[in-house]
Amino acid sequence: MNNKIAGRLISKLGFWVLVLTAIVLVSFPLLWMALSSLKPSVELFKTPPAFFPRNPSLVWYGKAFTDSTVLRYFINSLIVAVSTMIIDSVFGTMGAYSLTRFKYRGRKLIIAAVLSAYCIPPIMLMTPLYRIIAGLGLNSSYLGVIIGHVCVTFPFCIWILISFFKRVPKEIEEAALMDGASAFKTFYRIVLPLCVPGILSTGIMAFILSWNEYLLSSVLVSSDTMKTLTVGLANYISSTEIDWGTIMALGTATTIPIIILFTAIQKYFVEGLTAGAVKG
Amino acid sequence: MQGRNIKAIDNLRKGSYSKRQLLGILFIAPTVLFLAVFILYPVLYNICLSFTNAKLMKSTTSFVGLENYKKLFTSTVFPKYLWNTVTWTVFSVIGQLLLGFGFALLINRKNMRFGTAFRSFLLIPYVVPAVALALVTKWILNGDYGIASTWLQSLGLIDHRQSLLAMPGTAMTVLIIINIWRSYPFPMLIYWAALKGIDKGLYEAAYVDGAGRFQTFLHITIPYLKEPTIVLAVLRIIWTATYFDLIWMVTGGGPAGSTTHLPIMIYQASFGTFQTGYASAISVILGMLLFICVAFYVKNSVTSED
Repeated sequence: MNNKIAGRLISKLGFWVLVLTAIVLVSFPLLWMALSSLKPSVELFKTPPAFFPRNPSLVWYGKAFTDSTVLRYFINSLIVAVSTMIIDSVFGTMGAYSLTRFKYRGRKLIIAAVLSAYCIPPIMLMTPLYRIIAGLGLNSSYLGVIIGHVCVTFPFCIWILISFFKRVPKEIEEAALMDGASAFKTFYRIVLPLCVPGILSTGIMAFILSWNEYLLSSVLVSSDTMKTLTVGLANYISSTEIDWGTIMALGTATTIPIIILFTAIQKYFVEGLTAGAVKG
Repeated sequence: MQGRNIKAIDNLRKGSYSKRQLLGILFIAPTVLFLAVFILYPVLYNICLSFTNAKLMKSTTSFVGLENYKKLFTSTVFPKYLWNTVTWTVFSVIGQLLLGFGFALLINRKNMRFGTAFRSFLLIPYVVPAVALALVTKWILNGDYGIASTWLQSLGLIDHRQSLLAMPGTAMTVLIIINIWRSYPFPMLIYWAALKGIDKGLYEAAYVDGAGRFQTFLHITIPYLKEPTIVLAVLRIIWTATYFDLIWMVTGGGPAGSTTHLPIMIYQASFGTFQTGYASAISVILGMLLFICVAFYVKNSVTSED
């Protein structure tokens, strides 16, 4: 009897030790970035470093956000990410609805094409896309970067959206059609409202992917004022004198809004992903 | 069955039948157009470029046949970079699947206090910008002030002012670990969904028959996870073998080419030495190596679609 209780206690203790280890491992890099960004120079470059800042200060943030190029990077990233989000949501919704609710020739082929596109990574699109965008005269323009970002996010979005549309019961639509509603009205009035959480969370996911995108942004933009945040940040590190404090502050400022957005939608995202992305 | 119902209703209202179809076609048109112009065309264009001597800034190109491929296969660094790609991919994928599975077991525990919060927390690395992760990695491993480096130095494991990222023997290992950190959430979610899908009655029946926890794990849980594992591995192999950002921003392929994999090689050919044709040839070869994976994934997903 005693043995059983002891065994359960050990198992419970072991479980919480594992949970704690996981928390430490996952949070360490992010925590260290945030803590470093709050340390003034004296503490930042002390060896060995102390874990927590003794005199936390926002001096690096002040330095970063009074720099007009940094503000420009933020605005560029915002414009590109919001545009990508809107394009992906609107056309993704239309495409996903069509693929789940209509029967026409070539439907399966299009689904296969969407999935294949999902598997084509940015590194393989980089070289031809650079030439195409430059050929269109869109180098260093918002439109050029947005096209690039739509290329790498759209297939993913449509794939997740399909899983949301699939869960709308067909009977509801049939009832509407029976009552004489037109096909478009059925979609607009009945199906769309039911899918708003799914579409919204997919759109935010597109925003996050676009905000984080680095490779195509770096290739499709050559002028400094049109750079996105990720590219601007990455350039800081290759400069000869690395300003670690500012870099940590900018890294933290880039990451925090994304974590907040993701936490807000992750419930829907988890539903969509586990239902659609990988089916064994 | 339900599809037939809709069809029946449509046939009932003959007038709207073609109209309804029209909406479906209208809705899919932008997707098809987009896929054709910005995915299919670049892929085909890339293949064409690989047979030319195209340069980044030059507009005149001429056909050179298999010259770029010959150059690649006779290149002395290609075998090494290919091997780096394999090492990077295999260990990253195995690592993220194992860690994802372990975390899935943790969050699958019923009635766990703060269970939902813990799950949300574990998902965070999925969205952390690669650039932020790369920068903090460089900071943690900075030879002069990095917390991990100073610690390793004080233990005498590495030389004074040395960093794991500056040593050819360890840089790749560090990158793989960081990559596992950022990519386990996806496998975790998939495994978690699969675990939830296992019929609880199976476990109860096994316990009644006197099976222990380990036995049920071995004979019920593991077989159930075989299929998700295969699909996950295939998908992650594609993503990892072609993943560029992290390595580029942390080591740039160095030191001494020890972390250069094929994506870095493509980038350097394209934007380092401006040999567009050569870069295209490398990406065609990388694409061919991964084609079997893509074909398997697409076929598998489309089949389970209906």
